[in-house]
Order: sequence, then C-alpha cells, then structure tokens
Amino acid sequence: MHTFAVMKLLLIEDEQELANSIQMYLQGNNFVCELAINSNTAIDKISNYEYDCVLLDLMLPDGHGFEILKELKKQKKTEGVIILSAIETLESRLEGFNLGADDYLTKPFHLSELLVRIQALIRRKNFKGNNLIEYNEMSIDIQSKTVKVNGTEMDTTKKEMDLLIYLLGNENRVLSKSAIAEHLSGDMADMLENHDFVYAHIKNLKNKMKDAGCKEYIKTVYGLGYKWQND
Amino acid sequence: MVWVINGRMTKKLLHKSSQVYLLFSIIVLMVTAPLFYYLAEKLYVDETDEMLNLHKREFTKFSLPHLSISEIENWNRYNRNFKILPFNGWRNDSIYTKTYFDLLDNEREPYRELNVPILVQGNPYTYSARINLVETEDLMKSIAWLFLLILSLLLIGLFVITKKISINLWKPFNETLNQIEKFEIDKSDPPVFVGTDIEEFVRLNASIEKLIKKNTAIYQSQKEFVENAAHELQTPLAVFQAKLDLLMQQEGFSQEQVKMLDALNESVFRLNRLNKNLLLLSKLERDHYSGKEEIDINEAISKNLDFFTEQAKEKNLSIQMELNGTDTVQSNAVLLEMLLSNLFMNAIRHNIQNGRILVKSTNNGIVFMNSGEAEALKESNLFKRFSKSNASLQGNGLGLSIVKKIIEINNWSIVYSFENNLHTFSIGF
Repeated sequence: MHTFAVMKLLLIEDEQELANSIQMYLQGNNFVCELAINSNTAIDKISNYEYDCVLLDLMLPDGHGFEILKELKKQKKTEGVIILSAIETLESRLEGFNLGADDYLTKPFHLSELLVRIQALIRRKNFKGNNLIEYNEMSIDIQSKTVKVNGTEMDTTKKEMDLLIYLLGNENRVLSKSAIAEHLSGDMADMLENHDFVYAHIKNLKNKMKDAGCKEYIKTVYGLGYKWQND
Repeated sequence: MVWVINGRMTKKLLHKSSQVYLLFSIIVLMVTAPLFYYLAEKLYVDETDEMLNLHKREFTKFSLPHLSISEIENWNRYNRNFKILPFNGWRNDSIYTKTYFDLLDNEREPYRELNVPILVQGNPYTYSARINLVETEDLMKSIAWLFLLILSLLLIGLFVITKKISINLWKPFNETLNQIEKFEIDKSDPPVFVGTDIEEFVRLNASIEKLIKKNTAIYQSQKEFVENAAHELQTPLAVFQAKLDLLMQQEGFSQEQVKMLDALNESVFRLNRLNKNLLLLSKLERDHYSGKEEIDINEAISKNLDFFTEQAKEKNLSIQMELNGTDTVQSNAVLLEMLLSNLFMNAIRHNIQNGRILVKSTNNGIVFMNSGEAEALKESNLFKRFSKSNASLQGNGLGLSIVKKIIEINNWSIVYSFENNLHTFSIGF
C-alpha cells in the first residue's frame, strides 16, 4: 500500500512451508517479514527489536504461543499481534484476546486474508483509526466507510466497500473467487455453498467505479478470479 | 406386561416358566389320574376278596361242621349276603364282580361275589358270599375332584412361591437391566451395579462392566481420533491453501492449467469446510457449548438472512418467512446460530431451480420447508454422517448430523416429513 512506510513483521511459525509462503506473499508490500521458528528465538527477537506486527502461531515446539503474549505484556511492548492457529475454540480465542492479541485467524486461511488483516491492524495501531487510503484518484476513508473519486463521493454498499478494501489491499495479486467469497462472508464462510455471488458484487463495484470516473483497476483473471491492477 | 420388541411380542420370564409348569402339571394329571383310579380300584377289590375269603374260612371252620340240611332255609333267611345255594356245578372256588339291583337304594350296584362248593351232611351245595363295592362312578368323581384340588393347590402354591422367589431372585438382574437401559455411551458415566451373591449375576455384571468399559474406551479414542485427525489436518491444509494462493500469482498459465488450478481451489475449499464441520461435530460431542441464554428466535433467523438470500440467488429461490410464533428460546447462542444456518443451507442446497423456502416459527418450534426432489427422503439415513441423498450434490453430508447433535444437546426434537411436495424439518423446542 502506498500509504505505508516499510513495516517490520515478526512471523512466529514452526511450519517451515507455511512460513515461507507467508513471507513470499508479504514481500513487496513494504513489509519486512522476519521469521522465528520457536518461542525462544521469538522472545529473543521481541526483546531486542521493535515490530509493527507479530504473527503468532500458538503451537510451538518449545512452548505455547500464549507465553509469548505474556512476555510481550511483561516487556510492555505495544506490537499488534495476530494469532494464527489451528485451534478454533471460543476459549482459545477469548484467552488470546485477553492476553493482548488483536486478531485471531484460524488455519487454514488465505494469504490475501492475512494481508488485509495485517494492514487493518497496522492502520488501527498507527493511525488510531483515523486514516485515509489515498490511491490515485481515489480516497478511501476506512473509518466512515466512504470512497471519494476525484473528490466526489461514490455510493457503495457495505459489502462493496469491504470488497474494495480487500482487492486494493491485495494489489497486483490474483484472488480466487473462493477467497473473495470467504472474505465477504466473514463468520458465515463455513456455510458457503457457492461463490457465484462474488461475480455480482464485483460487477456492481466495477460499474460504480466506472460511473464515478475511476480507471478500470479491477481485472478479471480468466478462470481464476480477480485482481486489482494499475497498468 | 407384554412388550413389543422388534415387532415380536415378548413376555416376562415368569410368565414363560409358569406356562411350562402348567403344561407339565396337566400332563402329570392326565397320566396319573387313570392310573391312580385303576390302582385304587384294584386295591379295594383285593381287600374285599380277602374279606370274602376270611368269611369263607370262618364259615367252613365254625359254621359248616354243625350245619344240617334242614337249617339251610333258616340260614338263608337271616343272611342276605352269605347264602347256601343249591350246587351250581362249579367244583372250584370262583370270585368275580357282579351287578345286583339294590332294593333299598333302588339302583344297580356292583358286588364282589365268592362261590365255594361245600358239602352239607354229604350233599353238595354252593356257598355264595358277596360284598357291596362302593359305586365306581362315585369313586371316579371323588378321585377327579381330589386331583383337581391337589393340582390347583400345587399350581397356586407354585405360582405364588415362584413369583415371590423370582422377584427376590431376579432383583439384581432387574437392577442391572435398569442401569443398562439408562446408560448412554456419549452422555452418562458408566453404571455402578449393586452387589449380589448369585454367581450368574456377578458374572453378568462383571461382563457388562467389562463391555461398557471397553466400548467407552473405544468410543473415547474414536472421538479423540476424529478430533485429532481433523486438527492435524489443519496445518497441511494451511500449507496447501497458502501454496495454492502463491501459485495463482504466477503468470502465463495455459487454459488447461487454469482449469486445474480452479479445480484445486474448489477442492481445497471443500476440504476446509469438511474438516471444519468434523471439528465442530467432535466439539459438539465434547460439550464445548454449555452456557445457555435467552435468545429471540426471530432475530436469530433474520440475522444472517442476507447471507442466505445471497446463497439462494443462484437457484433463484424464493424465501418466505412467517415469523410470528415463539419469540424467545433457551439455548447457547453459537449453537442456535449453527442450527439455523445448517437448516437454512440444507434448504438451499437440496432445492431445485426456481424453488422455494418457507421458514415458519410456531408456538413451540420452528419449521423449515423447501422444495426439492419430488419424493420423500429416507429418514433412517437422514441424520447420519456422510449420508447423502444425492452423491453429486455439493454438501459434505455433515450438515444434518450437526443439526441432530445440536437438537440433542438442547433436548429439542426434530421431525422430517414430506408435505405438499415440500421437504419439511420441524423443530420442537
């Protein structure tokens, strides 16, 4: 995103392949993503460096992720923390939030989803919620959920706004229909039956953007999904 | 009491054994009554014969030596049953039964008669002595009554004693039975049996205890296996998903490759959902959702209506809501939402193009109706895991299992019916 300076992330994850994938996906988004594959290394890094965001796996070979949250608290660190966990119980979620985590993402997840969650967290932390995404002719107010194109407000639904932020956040990335559908469905994602409704939302958003005088940023990637691209 | 189990009438054990006792008694009676009658009669006749012989010996020893021919007439006048008759030609003693008409009783009665050739003053005569036998008919009747009386006494006694004994005797068995009937492997603790000193019941209790222990262990490990397996799958699935997301970022895919990627995307999506549902089911079985609260049912249904409306668009379904019944219900909020979502998605998933969905809240429940295949579903498999009415459908066959489980947890009821071409799921709170 154009609005961010280089952000430092710490990824605490023992599953090498997953860690690599996350690092690869986050590359080039003004993120520097460091990796700690166990909780000792993680605590070491946390103690010595400052991060904008910590991505924390709960099941680590040498300890539980909650211990790291406690350590962060003890050291009075203000890093935003997103828990990445295979455990999906209400208890674990609540415990995580109680210990100071900001978000909770259950494995498996889409990398695109992780990216927008990181962006949202950093925005909340750094701009105290009062923030504006400026993108060429567009100006998106996250707080009030409004979009202006060349200074004129564009009428969008909540879903379209959500979609816009999600697509823009994953600029230059191909997003599958299922990833978009899951993102738009939120808590109901597990109930999803078909993803065809994505097409309708994309079409509406595209039309509205076109009518408002936007460039055609949203591209259809044949057979795969959609992509926000400025060419 | 008569029970019907598996369509067969069953009777109590006591009933069965009493039946056998009764049958046995009747057979014994039928065999022994004539035998008894025959023996009794024979004994009586033998006794009578002995008496007649005794009289004869007395007569020949004391009376005969002094008897003269002229006294015979007088003898016969005063002795009705011991007569001296003209010689009838029989040279040996003969004894037989003969019927005479009794003037006093005015009926024919059987007599035992003994004929002995004698000599009175050198002339041959026949000494004839007879004794009245008790009427055989009377005897028979008396014996039959006696037998019936004995039999009834025996049976009543047997029945009362058996019942008394069996109640006591079978008490440990019935207690064990009650315990087993109450036992549910996924809910209750293993039963504790009352001690007994009857070897068979001790063995029974011990083997049931062993069986339950083993089954509970198997059930537990099975449950844990499903949960662990689903959990363990989350990480490789996460890698799969992440790699696929990355792979899609590559450029220059051929049309074939795009198709493959799309299929992979779809598969991993379904895998994820299947795994989440499995996890959910095992969580439900472990009672992870206990806290109940009062929830506005109409609100709960309407909450995700947008989502369902969106999902129903592809099939162009019409959704009709008639929410005017029950307003609040006691449940865990997460569970209720899951229940309603699964029922709603079920109604969408198994619907037909341009079909309809009707959601009604009644006074003590809620009803989901949907159009679909024009024949009723088989209820026996409906709520089983992975049972799909149509193999080609998208569903993973866990939705209704989840519904059933939540219904069980809340002690509600669910009934499936097929009315007016609508598949109907009625939930009773």
